[in-house]
Amino acid sequence: MVGKEEVRPVAVLVITCLVWGALLGLTHSATEKRIEEAERAELYRTLSQIFPSAQFKEENGYYTCWENGVLVGYAVEVEERGYGGKMRVLVGALPDGTVAGVRILSHGETPGLGARVTEETFLEQFRGKELGGVVLKKDGGEIEGVTGATISSRAVVRAVRSGLENLLRWME
Amino acid sequence: MRLQEFTKGILKKNPVLGLVLGLCPTLAITTRVENALGMSLAFTFVIVLSNLLISLLKRFIPRDVRIPTFIVIIASFVTIVEMLIHGYSPSLYEQLGIFLPLITVNCIVLGRAEAFASKRPVSETLLDTLGMSVGFSLAILVISFLRELFGTGKVVVFGYQVIPGILSSPPVGMILPPGAFLVMGILLAVMKKAGVV
Repeated sequence: MVGKEEVRPVAVLVITCLVWGALLGLTHSATEKRIEEAERAELYRTLSQIFPSAQFKEENGYYTCWENGVLVGYAVEVEERGYGGKMRVLVGALPDGTVAGVRILSHGETPGLGARVTEETFLEQFRGKELGGVVLKKDGGEIEGVTGATISSRAVVRAVRSGLENLLRWME
Repeated sequence: MRLQEFTKGILKKNPVLGLVLGLCPTLAITTRVENALGMSLAFTFVIVLSNLLISLLKRFIPRDVRIPTFIVIIASFVTIVEMLIHGYSPSLYEQLGIFLPLITVNCIVLGRAEAFASKRPVSETLLDTLGMSVGFSLAILVISFLRELFGTGKVVVFGYQVIPGILSSPPVGMILPPGAFLVMGILLAVMKKAGVV
């Protein structure tokens, strides 16, 4: 026979997991919409940083940017693997196919090291580059990576390249 | 008498420099004073509330499964807080978001649950975790201050230059992982020599 002593620990652990699992599920469904909205708002705020006075239209994940009815640029969100996991990068391009601006939407890089790829001094280097120019100095290009964070810097370069490639293909 | 439960965490049983716990987040984030401030806030919030919860529930938690139960409580609690902040305060999430998941693996939280909260009344747990929070915050602030100062030559907090450039070519190794071990080791040695811990 299994005694009360053996059952109690198992029962408590099972109940604890069930209760907290339920709480997690509830919180998730309660906040899912708000988190999505917050991320959307964040995305549009970031878009406005690349194209300051433009209005945006979304089409299958691509964004077109308009100023007084004139098309001034395109943008797309790219996912890339960084040093600390998923990195979401917003890449903007001008109609002539050069980079208009790059912003990091979210990342899991090490604070103080890899996370410094979000700083303007690193990101502004991409502006005006053509697809062939998006290469790190370490790999024979012109873009100076963040000191001590080559993996994170390379991830951003990869993201910008694939974003720009997608945009060029989509523009046609 | 009971105030000692608060003060012990600051020097004598300082979680980082005395108990030598929570080294993973300590070494990882102390590259800038700004990060240490964010981590201190998030840490205080999580350790105080999760340990109060454990202290309240301690009568129902059987000894044999206490560690897994603590981990379930702490990890779920942190995740719930993360989701709530993300949904309801995106700007706060931007500042603290990257620190919250790191706290789940901070063994100080589990350590205090095991060594203190699961055995003591709620009021003492509150004092203990507040003391630990002050001690942890002080330790990571000092470490990050030294690393940022020598690694970058200056200290900048939220755009304000606290200490202007003092070194023309600072040794960048100080903000890289070796610098963390170096500063940590020197501080430990100083604390030992001074007889504080």
